[in-house]
Amino acid sequence: MERQLWQIKINRPQRSVLTLRAGALLLGYLLLSIVTATAVTFTASLDRETLSLGESARLSLTFDGAQPDGTPTPPPVPGLQFSYNGPSREYRMVNGQSFTRITHNFTVTPRQTGDFTIPAMSVTYDNQQLSTQPLQVKVLKPGAPSPEAVANGSQSVFLRLQLPKTNLYLGEVITGEYQLYIREGVGAGQFQFTGTPAEGITIGKMSELQRRRVQLGNFVYTVIPVAVALTPVKTGPLSVGPVTANIVVEFPSNNRRREGFDPFGMFGSVDRRQLSLVTEEHSIQCAPVPTEGQPADFTGAVGNFTMAVSVGPTNVATGDPITVRVEINGRGGLDGLTLAPQAAWENFKTYPPTTRIETSDPLGLQGTKIFEQIVSPENADIRELPPLSFSFFDPETKTFRTLTHPATQLTVRHGGSVVVPTIAAGNKPASDAPAQQLDIVPIKPHLGKISLPTTSQGFSRTFIALNVAPMVAFLGVIIWRKRSDALANNPRLRRQRQVDATLRVGLEKLRDLAAQNKSDEFFAELIHLLQAKLGAQLDLPASAITEAVIDEKLRPRGIPDSTLAELHELFQTTNLARYAPIKSSQALAAIIPKLESALHKLDEVKA
Amino acid sequence: MKYFLLLLTLLLPLWTKGETATSVASQFDTANQLYAQSKFVDAAAAYRQIITNGTVSPALFFNLGNAHFKAGQLGQAIAAYRQAEELAPRDPDVRANVQFARNRVQGPRLSLSLWRQKLGTLSAQEWVTLSTVAVWITFGLLGARIIKPSLRLPLRPWTLVSIIGTLLIITGAKLATSQSASTQTAIVITTDVTVRTSPFEESPSAFTAHDGAELRILDRKNDWLQVTDGSRNFGWIKRTAVEVSERS
Repeated sequence: MERQLWQIKINRPQRSVLTLRAGALLLGYLLLSIVTATAVTFTASLDRETLSLGESARLSLTFDGAQPDGTPTPPPVPGLQFSYNGPSREYRMVNGQSFTRITHNFTVTPRQTGDFTIPAMSVTYDNQQLSTQPLQVKVLKPGAPSPEAVANGSQSVFLRLQLPKTNLYLGEVITGEYQLYIREGVGAGQFQFTGTPAEGITIGKMSELQRRRVQLGNFVYTVIPVAVALTPVKTGPLSVGPVTANIVVEFPSNNRRREGFDPFGMFGSVDRRQLSLVTEEHSIQCAPVPTEGQPADFTGAVGNFTMAVSVGPTNVATGDPITVRVEINGRGGLDGLTLAPQAAWENFKTYPPTTRIETSDPLGLQGTKIFEQIVSPENADIRELPPLSFSFFDPETKTFRTLTHPATQLTVRHGGSVVVPTIAAGNKPASDAPAQQLDIVPIKPHLGKISLPTTSQGFSRTFIALNVAPMVAFLGVIIWRKRSDALANNPRLRRQRQVDATLRVGLEKLRDLAAQNKSDEFFAELIHLLQAKLGAQLDLPASAITEAVIDEKLRPRGIPDSTLAELHELFQTTNLARYAPIKSSQALAAIIPKLESALHKLDEVKA
Repeated sequence: MKYFLLLLTLLLPLWTKGETATSVASQFDTANQLYAQSKFVDAAAAYRQIITNGTVSPALFFNLGNAHFKAGQLGQAIAAYRQAEELAPRDPDVRANVQFARNRVQGPRLSLSLWRQKLGTLSAQEWVTLSTVAVWITFGLLGARIIKPSLRLPLRPWTLVSIIGTLLIITGAKLATSQSASTQTAIVITTDVTVRTSPFEESPSAFTAHDGAELRILDRKNDWLQVTDGSRNFGWIKRTAVEVSERS
């Protein structure tokens, strides 16, 4: 059947009409597609049109149907601050048509109250001028929660500012306290101050204090106190606040859909919201420090202070430096503390003091300011450093107070004399703390030993020589020890050396005896020397040496006959002399060369 | 007459030397008087003139440092104290004043590692002298053991300690001398000077060094010195803003 339908014959005129209709339909579709594709819009919107100071709104700049390059920028609006958060993109297919949207998100933060208009914004895209409509924003003055709202517990989280007093003097420093109240059972975090307005008041350091719990009405709150230093900088009516802050709070969720899955609330589903917190505004009246009764040396110090002074050295020559150390300790504006010029120090040359602050609390209100001033006496008639005074205004008693350090005795000599450096003695006993150097040690009066500038400090030749010397000596000792050991282990060598020494002495003695013509002693010594030499050579006891030994021991060793003959002659001459002593010195002296010759030849005999 | 002329020729240098010493002492006293009159800048110039003329002494550099310190020239004071310390490393006055001056220096300054601090307790010359003494003691002990063998056992622990100690001292001496020879220090002599990231006036600032800051020199390029304070601060400083010391 279907085949039959397709096979219905259509005549030529009908075919033309159908073709035209289909073409028109296709053309319309294409035109519609083109029109749809080019329908680009640019819109601006705010998620809220009314907000309080300290809160912020979201501005969305949206392009529908296009993704232009670049980011549109809101025009500057006095009193509003824009910060870009980034784009978000959306793609959709509806009935075969693609849909594109890109939204650029900004955070709008008001800086003041009032009605603001964000002007229309224009961009050019594909030769089209796209514009947004102007937007209105109303920024209201924030308000602190009412006491009733606090008491009945409707305020889960709120912020307070407490001041210890509202009537201040110029320069007086007070400690205010921000108090963040969080109702029990409410989770909170990401606390951040967004505005701390103060008219004529300087807001200093902050420090979180110990948390505590209080009951307000029927509810228990956790209080997080934060101390802050406040200092009035001008007189008249001043104000602090309203201070604004943001905090993220978590409340138990009221979403009923969870009951099917979590009927007992075991999974603790919570709603998370960002809240803006605002404190009340405080008025402060600031009065100038009274002029009546104001000391001459008052320099504007307001607070409550004590003073400690040390002076040193006290034994100086004119022109020598003396360090005056002044410690101002107490509570008040330490940064602005200055010492007044001391009018009574006209005989001293003074230099600007150096200062440093040592605080003892996190707010920097309590501590010590230390002044170190160099003064030098200008003449030798000075006997003391005049008293030093410091005045301040005590806002508690509303009176001026002057602290005075008495005069310090000095010994001042004419310049150029030698000064023994003295360390200044403080008010505390010396045993409390180690002595502190308050100034440089004075100059040296004598030039001292003149030195040659050293060009090199390396291992010099002198150093090398000084270090090589003990090594050489040590090597000498080693050699000496080796030779000593060798001698100790060789008795023949030792005997040989003893015999050599004996011969050296004996030959001298023979010459003396010959000169003195002592025949008996001469020949006794001669035979003693011969026996010693032969005994050492033949390794026999000296007493065992007789003339017979010559033939028995020496001849087999290959001693020349001439040498043996000389030895025989010496032995025989000695024997003859026992019976017929020689009376002539010359005759005795003539025997000595023969002995020396024989001994010399014996040295050649191998042991 | 001939012998008289010869004697005169021999004695003339001694006489001239004595004359010069008297003159230097006189100049030194004059500089001291300027200091006593609180004319610290003039006193510093007078001390420096004596040094320029070729006379060097620890007292001279010490007084020069004092004059610069009193004139508010902290960097030049420290430079002078360091030269005094080089000549008289054990002088307590010099050590006290250089430490006192260093305590006044603000901002980044040279921080030495612990081993460098320990090494610096003795000067390079003292290390060398100590090593010589140690070598003599060690070889003396070794020699005594050889000369008198009966002492070999009693002296054994002392010899061992001496050998180890000598090796350590010689190592310290070698390190001290090499460090002294290779390390140069730049002492800032202007109030505040910007240390830049590269040796050009247009370069960004790396950090600011204050008067008296001692910085180790790492490199040189034209009129610039690359310096560090020994921690994380590196940069280039103009040569004219510092005084260069050869010691670390």
